[in-house]
Amino acid sequence: MPNTLSRRDFLKVGGAAVGALVLGRFIPPLVAEAARATGMLDATNSGYIPTMCEMCVWRCGVLAKVEDGRVVKLEGNPDHPHSKGNLCPRGQSGLMNTYDPDRVLSPLVRVGKRGEGLFRKTSWDEALDIVATNMLKIKEKYGPEAMVFSSTHNLSQPLFENLLYAFGSPNYGTQRSLCFNAMITAFSLTYGVEEPSRKYDDVEFILMVGRNMMEAISTSETSELSHAIDRGAKFVYLDPRYTKTASKATEWIPIRPGTDSAFLLAMINVIVSNELADCEFVKKYVVGCDGIKTAMQGYTPEWAEEITGVPATTIERIAREYAAAKHNALAHPGWRTSNFINSFQTERAIATLNALSGNVLTPGGCLSAEMAAEGAGLGAPPQPPYPRVSALRLDGVPWKYPLVSLKLGVFQELRDTILTGEPYQAHGWFISRQNPILSLPDRAKTLEAFGKMDFITTIDIIMNDTAWFSDVVLPETSYLERYDPLLPVGDKAFIRQPVVEPQGEAKSALWIYKQLGERLGLGDFFHYADEEDYLRQQLASLGVSLEEVKSKGYAEMPETESSGEITFNTPSGKIEVYSETLKNAGFSPWPTWEEPPQPAEGQFYLLTGKVAQQTQFGTQNNQMLHKYSDEPRLWMNAKVAAEKGLADGDWVEVTSEVGKANVRLLATQAIRPDCVYLTPGYGHLSKGLTTAFGFGTSDSVLHVTYTDPISGGQALSQTFVSVKKA
Amino acid sequence: MSEIKQHAFLFDAARCIDCRACMVACSVENKIPMDKTRIWVSGIGVKGEYPNLESATMVYHCMHCEDPDCASACPVGAWVKRSDGPVLYDSKLCIGCRYCMNACPFGVPHYDWDKGLIDGAFIDKCSMCPQRIDIGLEPACVATCPTDALVFGERADLLKDAHARIAAHPYRYIDHVYGETENGGTSYLIISHVPFKELGLPELGPTPLKDISELIMGGTIPFALGWAAVLSGVAAGAYALDKKKEAKDKHVETQEELPAKTEATQ
Ligand code: SF4
Ligand code: SF4
Repeated sequence: MPNTLSRRDFLKVGGAAVGALVLGRFIPPLVAEAARATGMLDATNSGYIPTMCEMCVWRCGVLAKVEDGRVVKLEGNPDHPHSKGNLCPRGQSGLMNTYDPDRVLSPLVRVGKRGEGLFRKTSWDEALDIVATNMLKIKEKYGPEAMVFSSTHNLSQPLFENLLYAFGSPNYGTQRSLCFNAMITAFSLTYGVEEPSRKYDDVEFILMVGRNMMEAISTSETSELSHAIDRGAKFVYLDPRYTKTASKATEWIPIRPGTDSAFLLAMINVIVSNELADCEFVKKYVVGCDGIKTAMQGYTPEWAEEITGVPATTIERIAREYAAAKHNALAHPGWRTSNFINSFQTERAIATLNALSGNVLTPGGCLSAEMAAEGAGLGAPPQPPYPRVSALRLDGVPWKYPLVSLKLGVFQELRDTILTGEPYQAHGWFISRQNPILSLPDRAKTLEAFGKMDFITTIDIIMNDTAWFSDVVLPETSYLERYDPLLPVGDKAFIRQPVVEPQGEAKSALWIYKQLGERLGLGDFFHYADEEDYLRQQLASLGVSLEEVKSKGYAEMPETESSGEITFNTPSGKIEVYSETLKNAGFSPWPTWEEPPQPAEGQFYLLTGKVAQQTQFGTQNNQMLHKYSDEPRLWMNAKVAAEKGLADGDWVEVTSEVGKANVRLLATQAIRPDCVYLTPGYGHLSKGLTTAFGFGTSDSVLHVTYTDPISGGQALSQTFVSVKKA
Repeated sequence: MSEIKQHAFLFDAARCIDCRACMVACSVENKIPMDKTRIWVSGIGVKGEYPNLESATMVYHCMHCEDPDCASACPVGAWVKRSDGPVLYDSKLCIGCRYCMNACPFGVPHYDWDKGLIDGAFIDKCSMCPQRIDIGLEPACVATCPTDALVFGERADLLKDAHARIAAHPYRYIDHVYGETENGGTSYLIISHVPFKELGLPELGPTPLKDISELIMGGTIPFALGWAAVLSGVAAGAYALDKKKEAKDKHVETQEELPAKTEATQ
């Protein structure tokens, strides 16, 4: 049953509900004052304020219920396409992110050894001066390229990028190569679009390759998948684990890790050799129509059976069912696709399957590869051009990884160049809202690279592991306390705005970057007086006031003209199943099979993957989520565990090529006998995290660094481990 | 019979993904202390042998019976069934005798042995969020459920909806709406793809238990329930948290050595 309440009802309700509350503070705080001016809060500083979730990157719309200046509940905003009135458990727990007792509330300067956790509190002035002085010292002595900048997917990233490009460093580390490089590189090469959107309205057949939608929740899409299954759509799911998603699938295929592309190539083989594709569409829009039959010749279902362990008849049947659903079939592009060196080929095969079904651009089709004109229509403060940068990037893009875009990068490779000092030595690391100590594979190597740094500074709201090993920690406001740049979604631009006063001395990223920019002599790149001024400049051309956007939660964007002509943003203007670009770079122009390594006798594939109650490495200290999360144990097939003399709940020692970890065993039927699984994001080293410290173990201790030469993606499931009783 | 519409929940086990958003939403909305909960999401776990597996989860909270046994058992009238659905508890009247706990065939009301639970109450359970439904909002758990496994509405409509879902997918669902008649009917209706018994739901007739027990032996509960085990309530919640703490201490003990170095040069 759909939510029937509109946001207006919520606001009305807000007014009614707070009638009984007593009047709060004598002097209304600024946030409340502003909210009262726009009618969101009443005289008691209570009511609902629209904003945006930041517990993961799906960014659901939120209505924050505020009572007497305190946020007491978060509701999904029915007006927002990503929440549609719902929030996932992380979104629901969001106020514990703001009210985390471990918040860092003033700038900190390290006084002990790195990692010892001894800091002194200081003023913003002194902290910013220390950071700027150190950065300028490094720039002067070694050049701007000796500063590494890294940050993870967030709304203030354009300003972070301003800081790094204006400073003149090419060294930009994002989480992307640990996550979706394979998907984005493959879809960019094939369709000219980074991530096509999915449409579930008419879907009849869904194929998901390890996209654990019911645990790696994207609220609206999880809901759409659930409704599609409920309607009776066929849902085929490939995963070596019986996840919550597997339990909802029509057909779960526990495929051998690393062999997804063999399965998909065989599907393509069945479709093209039996001419089951949407030929009209393919002839018109696809490069490779002529050669594909020959190129896929060897990839028979029988061939794939040998590799994947899935019966040839099953593969053939699924291929035929997929083709029969025509443009109502959807092969999902996935999200974190950093599994094996060959994950790029898996994504290319998925891109090809979608092209064959004609679901792209066909009315009613389930995949939309239209160019999303991101940010179009929104203004930005004026700024000068960036200085020219001639230094090589330390992550090897593009000199070692020619096809990886600068924006994606190959984060995990940075440490090797830092450690060897080749092609030059990095000396400083500026980190914002990122936790590389836990996110990068091989934690020991990351810590070693940290040891090479003269200066490390981290911006965060809590003392995450990376902040713990930093020299200066700058406290950011939480997402319920700050503005971020507006975010366009579809035909609207949504706002994140403060719903409560910031705690302590915490400041927004927009403020921090500007202050730092000015101290670095880069003030011209931050032409805004404050956060609200930045948003006003974004809204300038839309003819809508910030006050209106604040109370409504979004601004309407002008409609983008569609030319009517269908072209793709690829060199040929068509869907490039056959890619000259790949060929010219020395790679296979067709989706192709690459044999991944296999564990030795007695070893296991180490799998990773999300649970619904946590996001990556940043939420484990949230007390509400801690309360409702399962203890992170090492999953092992129960039969195998019994053979090894291991019982459920035993402490085991897990050993990989690069590390050892102790963890409790979960003996379960829900995993292939040749695999073990560990929930990521646990095992924090920082004693500044009283809930997360020392709970569970970190998979990054075990992960070996392997990089895909095409997409630059880290191969997170290519680590093999042995397990024995601890 | 009054004209007041009866509110109810409908839970669809085939749709629940065990995400626990409902648990978090309930805890925040009702300001439940960190070591307590009013909702449990549990179920059959993973059943079968790899790779032939089956799984189901179920959201356990108060059934809001039409004719509640807890209310009949309470000697001081601390329980009322509101005509629009919720079964409510009044902590000011409660004397802490725990008759309600024994009387409830679903093992729902739970008790804090050390102190009053919330705002001095001895007993706690799901309230159907009267503070929300009275102003036209759905209960917190329902409002956030990303899969619509939990929905809220008028009981008569939901019953129709439940039967329609079963009719539309006869191979998916057990042909029964739990709570339609059980224990005299409840305001929490459940449909499922696995037998209700496996979800821990007691097999109950259409007559409220109290009427039978009053007849037979004056109040002794005749069965130990699967669900009661899940819902041993506060004790269970606190136990789970203790377990986590224990696990944490152990993890700390076995933390791998920190790599030496990372001396700063400044
Ligand atoms: S999916 Fe969950 S965590 Fe992510 S934005 Fe939505 S509510 Fe927040
Ligand atoms: S929120 Fe919905 S899907 Fe999630 S556990 Fe609760 S009932 Fe199940």
